[in-house]
Amino acid sequence: MEPETVPQRDVLMEVRNITLRFGGVTAIEDISFDILEGEVRAIIGPNGAGKSSMLNVINGFYHPQEGEIWFRGEKRKAMKPHEIARHGIARTFQNIALFRGMTTLDNIMTGRLTKMHRNMFWQAIWRGPAEREEVEHREVVERIIDFLEIQHIRKTPVGRLPYGLQKRVELGRALAAEPKLLLLDEPMAGMNIEEKEDMCRFILDVNDEFGATIALIEHDMGVVMDISDRVVVLDYGRKIGDGTPDVVRNDQTVIDAYLGVAHE
Amino acid sequence: MLYRETGDFKVSYRDDQQTFPIIQDRWLFWGMLAVAFLVIPFIIDDYWEKSIVLPFLVFSLAAIGLNILTGYCGLLSLGTGGFMAVGAYASYKLMTAFPELNIVIVILLSGGVTAAVGMFFGLPSLRIKGFYLAVATLAAQFFLVWLFNKVPWFYNYSATGQITAPERSIFGFAVTGPEATPAATYLFCLAFVTVLALVAKNLIRGRIGRSWMSIRDMDIAAEIIGVPPMRTKLSAFAVSSFYIGIAGALYFTVWFGAAEPTEAFGINQSFLVLFMVIIGGLGSMLGSFLGAAFMVLLPIVLKNIMVGGFDVLPVLAKHVEITLVGSLIIFFLIVEPHGLARLWSIAKEKMRLWPFPH
Repeated sequence: MEPETVPQRDVLMEVRNITLRFGGVTAIEDISFDILEGEVRAIIGPNGAGKSSMLNVINGFYHPQEGEIWFRGEKRKAMKPHEIARHGIARTFQNIALFRGMTTLDNIMTGRLTKMHRNMFWQAIWRGPAEREEVEHREVVERIIDFLEIQHIRKTPVGRLPYGLQKRVELGRALAAEPKLLLLDEPMAGMNIEEKEDMCRFILDVNDEFGATIALIEHDMGVVMDISDRVVVLDYGRKIGDGTPDVVRNDQTVIDAYLGVAHE
Repeated sequence: MLYRETGDFKVSYRDDQQTFPIIQDRWLFWGMLAVAFLVIPFIIDDYWEKSIVLPFLVFSLAAIGLNILTGYCGLLSLGTGGFMAVGAYASYKLMTAFPELNIVIVILLSGGVTAAVGMFFGLPSLRIKGFYLAVATLAAQFFLVWLFNKVPWFYNYSATGQITAPERSIFGFAVTGPEATPAATYLFCLAFVTVLALVAKNLIRGRIGRSWMSIRDMDIAAEIIGVPPMRTKLSAFAVSSFYIGIAGALYFTVWFGAAEPTEAFGINQSFLVLFMVIIGGLGSMLGSFLGAAFMVLLPIVLKNIMVGGFDVLPVLAKHVEITLVGSLIIFFLIVEPHGLARLWSIAKEKMRLWPFPH
């Protein structure tokens, strides 16, 4: 299952022999794969395969018992999630995790917290440096708002927005951090066909225009096969397939995992 | 022009981010400030000073403090009374130890001391939240009051266990002690409230405020986008306690001039400020003021109606007043659980499209 002709790109992240256990349950067992700079990498698998756990390992929410993660050519030390965010990994969540009491604008501005540095003294005075910094970042955020076509809900508290727009705001918040690696946990779950098409377009544009490498979990096989460059298939915490969409689609083990095998 | 956002176009982000985006709000704000600084000092008398204006100002400050912690950062605290006591005793010790020190500096330093104490008692918030944190801060409340009762050093070994504020003045006007005029004490407190309220507003609308609110709304997501939970929560405790400490210092030095911990800074005080914040509106600056005004004025209005209007015996009136205030709070929370500030924002929203239904 060697990935065939992939253009020569640098490896952005490599996970090596990751094993994650919760007590006696092994959620992920000895998984290795790499993510290349600038690609769209999909992680698929049946329910309970360990996909979300894998994302949680990558952004430091779970600490695996074994294995190592190499990011941008360096072996990553054990870090807290907020430190990992500062290293350029952002994500969205399967169940939307927006700040419901805040407006769209504030939510996306929060995504830029790691880039803002004025201390409490300047913040308290506001006039001068703090205000300038705020305007500077507001410009970046407005570009993201334009890009995602959510200008009209700029000042609406996100708790009141419909589901599809909330997903979009969440993508905006992750983008605001200008991540090197963007993790999307089921970005299209529960969407209708039009919303899915919009979201696909945004993901591809993010990949193109913002130059972010994307790792995504998705259940809609049509979408996965269309937009991803390479696919990892997990089942029961093990890797059972890895390669371009065409290779994976025709792999017998993968077909068996999805469709089931006749037991004699 | 109508009072609303519609039609009030902003051409720069700077304009869009100002404290009062609606022009009438700005007029109202400057108008109120002008009245507060230029008119009220000339008409204020002793009764208005001690029973209405100073309580309102002092409790507004305490409510802003608690609102920062509970309303903006989502950390429930029942230690407000204890932290006010820290501010009061810190100002007392500073005033007696350094008689030359300017009273403004004394009060700011008392806020600083309270911020440090608040951060210490905020440490459990890194592990626990909600009701459990409320219990931890409740422990702070009882411990601090006990401490100020038991350790004579805090009240300079006075026989009564009370602390009394010595006279201090600014620009020749006494602001503490029996000689202080109502106008002087009023202006002194008003200056603190004005400046600190603007500072709080600035903190809330910027990076720090957004990191507090992100912790409040979804702490896991906040951590994953890079908000350090420990620093954020402790900074909320520090800023909140700073405000509450200053409120406590003003309460003791300017308003009462004397204090005794069990009476002045008991658990009742904590609940009173918490009620203010809840009734005014969690997570709203305006709400802190509205809540303070409501809780200060309601008993006075009720008492005047009952004693003045209906000749109810003062003793009976006091009991009826407590019952009425309690039931009004319950009624109000059922009708508008998000507080007075929410009523205001609903009105604003309606005005946006008025007179068209959609």
